[in-house]
Amino acid sequence: MTDVNPAVSSTSKKVFWRRHTSSLPGGAKPVDSKTGATKIVIGAQYSYGETLNVVGSSSNHSSSSFETFENFEIDQSAQQAQLQSGTMEKLKGGVKPEIAELVQDPINSIKFIKFLRPKKTHLSETELTNYNTRLLRFNKFKDVLQSSNVDLAALRKLSWSGIPDELRPMAWQFLLGYLPCNSDRQVATLARKRKEYEDSVSQAYAKGVAGLDQAIWHQIHIDVPRTNPGTPLYQYETTQQCLERILYVWSIRHPASGYVQGINDLVTPFFQVFLAAYIDEDPEYYDPGNLPNEVLSVIEADSFWSLSKLLDGIQDNYTFAQPGIQRQIGKLKELINRIDSKLAAHLQAEGVEFIQFAFRWMNCLLMRELSLKNTIRMWDTYLAEGPDGFSEFHLYVCAAFLVKWSDKLRSMDFQEIMMFLQSLPTSHWDEKDIELLVSEAYMWKSLFHNAPNHLSRT
Amino acid sequence: DHNLPEVKEYLYKILVIGDLGTGKTSIIKRYVHNIFSMHYKSTIGVDFALKVLQWSPDTVVRLQLWDIAGQERFGNMTKVYYKEALGALVVYDVTRSSTFDGVTKWKNDLDQKVSLPEAWGGGSIPVVLMGNKDGCSNKSESEMIKYCEENGFVRWFETSAKENHNVDEAARYLVSKILEIEQRNQGRPRQNQNGVIHIDEDQQYTPNSCC
Repeated sequence: MTDVNPAVSSTSKKVFWRRHTSSLPGGAKPVDSKTGATKIVIGAQYSYGETLNVVGSSSNHSSSSFETFENFEIDQSAQQAQLQSGTMEKLKGGVKPEIAELVQDPINSIKFIKFLRPKKTHLSETELTNYNTRLLRFNKFKDVLQSSNVDLAALRKLSWSGIPDELRPMAWQFLLGYLPCNSDRQVATLARKRKEYEDSVSQAYAKGVAGLDQAIWHQIHIDVPRTNPGTPLYQYETTQQCLERILYVWSIRHPASGYVQGINDLVTPFFQVFLAAYIDEDPEYYDPGNLPNEVLSVIEADSFWSLSKLLDGIQDNYTFAQPGIQRQIGKLKELINRIDSKLAAHLQAEGVEFIQFAFRWMNCLLMRELSLKNTIRMWDTYLAEGPDGFSEFHLYVCAAFLVKWSDKLRSMDFQEIMMFLQSLPTSHWDEKDIELLVSEAYMWKSLFHNAPNHLSRT
Repeated sequence: DHNLPEVKEYLYKILVIGDLGTGKTSIIKRYVHNIFSMHYKSTIGVDFALKVLQWSPDTVVRLQLWDIAGQERFGNMTKVYYKEALGALVVYDVTRSSTFDGVTKWKNDLDQKVSLPEAWGGGSIPVVLMGNKDGCSNKSESEMIKYCEENGFVRWFETSAKENHNVDEAARYLVSKILEIEQRNQGRPRQNQNGVIHIDEDQQYTPNSCC
């Protein structure tokens, strides 16, 4: 039974129509993309008359399909006829209309991004200020990202304090070194990398699951269904199959470490952030089975390469005996000795060893301690920190994180400490908490980094 | 009445080990909180749980359960986690024979890295073998009894964390063994031996008969 649940499809239609009411110019039209990969729809550039002028900023990109759209003026009835004539079947719930362009040339598609004014008609002064601040920031990012030669230093500086959701997918890909800064190379590079990944998958899976390395595949196969078990996105079969392929291909390409538990966590921020680029819904509740296959494979390939870039920087966390983690734990202990000697002494007196709790902090980059949303915000800063973000800076974040609970921990005995540290009360944490955490980490890093004498007790 | 019996408290560190995905975390969650879920996150490093048993009117046993990550990559950390453990549950998945192959590896790892306190005469810590998950073991009971004798396990249980089958029993058996060793070596007989011995013997041993 492949029929769409009528209830669901009518709802999604309704939502779709609401988005395309008469105040909005433009619409959707099926287009043969040049890659031949996508025959979906490219949407129009939206400009919201009643909001501040957001969309029409300068772009150094030129795109023939975009020019088509600037001239693409049709009336409502034509638009509706167009959509009813078959396009909608391919554009299931939540998929953005300009998806073909988004897939092929994400940077050039920034122009499609709708920066929405809050839905209320009357905004309070605070709301208006917040909105304008966000808008200003959004435009600063946009200017950097759309440059013909992206200034990475400028992007890092901006990204350190958080990246607007709408621009995060592109910003992350630049910061990771996945997307080339030179705009002339972006489309071709993406196409090539995606093809390379697809070929790797085809090769590995040529004989189906039976042809895979069973020991590796089994471990991945057991871990994928228990990845973010509380979040609907990760319960969908489509998601799980994507993650399984990404992790498998990564593992066979990196035999020195192979698949290590916890890497399954690390791929999810990428998958979720890149998915968000193509849909108008909350990715955490989205079934990626609704996406056209071409889009899904692009999200998968981009996630694979991003995960690879991330792990390149922390590879010795996962090789034999995990020397990277051992070293980090040693350094964390020294750091705590210096910045909170009372806590260090208490932990020691109670017989708590750092490896008992901090191993997980290093192996999963605190993802077991923080929500996915918070992790994503934290990775903005990690990526902005540069190549050492996920190793050196993370160490200082762990230190800041531990001393946050110092008062509580110092009133606890061994058992209480162990229980507390494995279910820390961070479920209510939001962006502000993460910002405070990374600021504190930054402070500790400024004090102690490259000043090893400060670390050892004299 | 001023002659209330003195309550003795024991604190035992118990390891729960076995290959990846055999259900170690599920067993602990069932045992400690009496809950079950198909999808607990994989354990990274070690998780810690506490269970307090009113063993007998005058004996309280506090169990520190150390749920240790099963992946081989984490294997060089086990020495740190094993320190001062007095017993272990080794878990395999009856539906995946490769995890039974892992059992010997885990047992050897234990024997190399941890032993009973010298005051108790040293030697191997007592280890209970748990064939977990619902499904049919392809091993007969007599085979398993022989296996346990040959490989130094104090006993084998077929368990299901999902169906809440034999989890309490396996843990209880292990605790009884540790208590026994402690008594024997400290030479102070329990005031009420019935508490220990009888509970142990009353426990109906239920071999799995699903096949």
